[in-house]
Amino acid sequence: MSENILLKAENLSKLYQMGEVTVAAVKNVDIEIINGEFAVILGPSGSGKSTLLNILGGMDQPTEGNVYMNGESIIGFNDKKLTAYRRDKVGFVFQFYNLMGTLTARENVELATEICEDALDIDEVLETVGLGDRKDHFPSQMSGGEQQRVAIARAVAKNADLLLCDEPTGALDFETGIKILGLLKEINVKYNKTVVIITHNVPIGEMADRVIKMRSGEIIEITENKDPIEPERIVW
Amino acid sequence: MKKLDKRLLRTIRESKGQFISLTIVVIVALIVYVSFSMVADQLYNSIYQYYGETNFAHIFVDVNRVPGNVVDDLLSIDGIDQVQGRVVSDVPLRVEDPNEKVNVRIVSVPSNENQINSLFVLEGEELRPGTRTTSVLQQFFIGRDMEIGDTLRPYIGGTEYSLEVVAEVGNPEYIYLMENEQTLLPDEKGFGVIYVPEEFAQSALGFQGSYNNVIVTIDESQENRIDIIADDIEDRLERFGIRSIVTREDHLSHSVMIQEVDSLKLMSQSMTIIFLLVASVVISIMLSRIVRKDRIGIGVLKGLGYGNTQILMHYVKYSIAIGLTGSLIGILFSIPISRSLVELYIQYMNIPLFRSVIDNNYLIYGTLLTTAFCVAAGLFGARSVLQISPADAMRPETPRTGKRMWIESFQAFWKRMTFSWKMVLRNISRTKRRAFFLVIGIALTFAVTMVPVFMSTVWDTLFERQYSQLQKMDYSIEFTRPLDIKVIPELQKLTQIDYIEPKVELPFELAEGWRKEIVNVIGIRRDTIMYGFRTTSGREIELPEKGIVLTDILARQLHAGPGDTISINSVLPGVSEKTIEVKAVVEQYFGKNAYMDIEQMYEIIEEKNIATGALAFTDWNITQDLRDVQNISAINTVQDLRATMEEYMDLIIASMGALMLFGGILGFAIVYNITIVSISERIMEFSSLRVLGFDKKEIFKLVTRENALMTVFGLILGMPLGYSMCKGIADAVSTDMYTIPAIIEPFVYLYSAVATVVFVIVAQMATYKKIKDLNFIDALKNRIS
Repeated sequence: MSENILLKAENLSKLYQMGEVTVAAVKNVDIEIINGEFAVILGPSGSGKSTLLNILGGMDQPTEGNVYMNGESIIGFNDKKLTAYRRDKVGFVFQFYNLMGTLTARENVELATEICEDALDIDEVLETVGLGDRKDHFPSQMSGGEQQRVAIARAVAKNADLLLCDEPTGALDFETGIKILGLLKEINVKYNKTVVIITHNVPIGEMADRVIKMRSGEIIEITENKDPIEPERIVW
Repeated sequence: MKKLDKRLLRTIRESKGQFISLTIVVIVALIVYVSFSMVADQLYNSIYQYYGETNFAHIFVDVNRVPGNVVDDLLSIDGIDQVQGRVVSDVPLRVEDPNEKVNVRIVSVPSNENQINSLFVLEGEELRPGTRTTSVLQQFFIGRDMEIGDTLRPYIGGTEYSLEVVAEVGNPEYIYLMENEQTLLPDEKGFGVIYVPEEFAQSALGFQGSYNNVIVTIDESQENRIDIIADDIEDRLERFGIRSIVTREDHLSHSVMIQEVDSLKLMSQSMTIIFLLVASVVISIMLSRIVRKDRIGIGVLKGLGYGNTQILMHYVKYSIAIGLTGSLIGILFSIPISRSLVELYIQYMNIPLFRSVIDNNYLIYGTLLTTAFCVAAGLFGARSVLQISPADAMRPETPRTGKRMWIESFQAFWKRMTFSWKMVLRNISRTKRRAFFLVIGIALTFAVTMVPVFMSTVWDTLFERQYSQLQKMDYSIEFTRPLDIKVIPELQKLTQIDYIEPKVELPFELAEGWRKEIVNVIGIRRDTIMYGFRTTSGREIELPEKGIVLTDILARQLHAGPGDTISINSVLPGVSEKTIEVKAVVEQYFGKNAYMDIEQMYEIIEEKNIATGALAFTDWNITQDLRDVQNISAINTVQDLRATMEEYMDLIIASMGALMLFGGILGFAIVYNITIVSISERIMEFSSLRVLGFDKKEIFKLVTRENALMTVFGLILGMPLGYSMCKGIADAVSTDMYTIPAIIEPFVYLYSAVATVVFVIVAQMATYKKIKDLNFIDALKNRIS
């Protein structure tokens, strides 16, 4: 099993100083992400899941603890190494897509791939996310779902091992949300990428291989899902 | 093309107004730097090349009369390379229109080779000894529309001579042609220099075997001893009546030229720095705003794996694009502009070797300078990129802290204020640094605008002060030699003169300690109505019965003031040196003189009842009536000076107009860019106001009020700043020959303020489009640009 661990966090804590009070966003978290799995981190707002995701993705530093990617600690990384880690190992999908408004769909994807050495074929990825005929459109000319597809294509095309998705359906309506989840699953299978989704939406957990539940900065339960359902069958 | 670069290009396209306005500021900076520096260098080099080719003298001596052998003996003075005696005299020239007054300076040319101040023949042939021929100085030749073969008719000692024009020539002594220090501006139609064979000048002017002017060149290695050599010459020639000894440094034309080179250099440096500094500050404010607005985008880029340097450079490239575009266009413009500048100089100055040469070094320096400023501004403005953590960037920005302002403690005042004004004041207090820069920017615009307004009025003011307040006479008549005072009433009989006074104007060497100056001292009646003396503090005074009154420039040069005793030594042979008390120091803007009561003058020169000239009041044109009168060498009128002055006003106004345009560009760029930054920063606020029911005009009014308030502060600060700038420029332009006082009339402030307000309004109007096009729904929805 341990050989199959992609990412591992040990005793991870993140404390914020708010005036005279110290708030722990993440407390003593131990977590392992397995290569090729589809994991969902579930938790209500303020449970620390976004903070955890940011630390795992090398976007933020923990106050305590360690994170290992393929057995190598990323915590002692300097800025340059951390940048390389984000560039080569991780792909992010954000709740609000965060596309560059002045670049077309294709250019937004190219923005990510042109700094990677082993990027996937952009047109193929855009076909996969269903935007083959919309690639020359600007974000302002697209719906929310389409924009999120671009964001996913951008994360996937980098050919990183790990896809970290922060509330990817949070800004979308139900039908579009389901389609996006289906797409993420397809990418998980087709490109053999490890996908980690964080969400407060409990039914999404039903499609995951594993569900990690968080509350008040702590992991309260990790459940293996023997029989994940198809995204199309999720209802909320 | 890299996608980030593509994004940059689209960002530039979206902010084209700002990009263009800042690029124009950079263009102006580059044009001023490149063209002015090139012209200054070229002017300097051409002058010295010209001096070399024509063997320009180092020392110029005016004497009453010195025999040729004494001149030759000067060669025995250590350090002197060559000497040359000349006969130089100003005489009237007969022209077709009897009412036109034209004077020429006759200068003798020896027949030997290797002359000092040799003539640079532009057209025609060399002067032939023994003929009645003349070579005419280029400016006069062109000014009077002459042709080779024309005949000139100078009136010398009561006789009219005919001289055939054989050449149009240039001469380093008269690159900038002025009749004397008090005429200030060249008048190519009214005054010229004609060169004649030596024996003709000597016989016509009565100087057989002798000269009244000596020019000297010194060994290159001895140039640092020039003052000592001048003293040696003075000792040798003292007994022949030295009227003046001038070294090259103080030579009228040379010092005007060097002054011109210096002011071009000063302009190229100061204007360039002002413009580049303003561009840099605006660029850094704009970029810091873009970075703040792009916070999430920067987070995303970092999330995607872009490094700090890559992201920082993405923004810095914006300013580099401004620098390079500005440089490129600036270079394209500066080449024809420097050519036109050279043309302009060629028109007013007589440097045959002056050509427009493109110095590639300045093009490279200019580009490097502007780019360096822009890179520095870019790095400074976008430096916060480095501090943005990708995780923080994803979180919504915390609202800015709102605090009460000190002004709110004045409750009675604050309560009466309308809501919009409260918003205006709060916003200013929230963005203090930017507001401060806007005030500085407007103040700078005011000051840059004030300089040309001041300079275009200063000549008028100077003229008024010199020729209405100080010298009140209509005519100043000069005699060829001192005459009995009885000729004064006789003059009145020859023409219509309302009132006439005698004067004695003679050169003296005045000395205070080791400092000495040869100047013309003017003796006039104590109760004169021809002069209105004012002390440097502006107090009107009368001439004292005893003692001497010095003009400001002279007093400074001698380091002498009221109460000091100075020595006064006549250059006339046989008059003993005396001491005299300085009674006052008075203002005089053109030239340097000293004044005393005519009776005191008689005591000094040990002679009584003589006059060297007369001062007259009359509306009648006396020139024609007196032109054939013997013993009159010149008749000067203030009207002639004023006419020349007015001709030059067009040129002055044109060049000042260009400066004013620069001020306008500066003002526009500052106000436009700062307002756009302010609008884009407050787009959410304005959108919320739109949702609340404010219309576009009301929102625009908020921005306008803010700028109006800043403009008021800017103008207030601009006044002392403008005054210092004008004073600085006046001091820099002032020379030993004339002083430009920083007398700034109230209307100068008024005009500059009006112009500044116009620039602000134009910039303000240009920003209205941003408010008009504001899609508040989109603005409220958008999270990333």
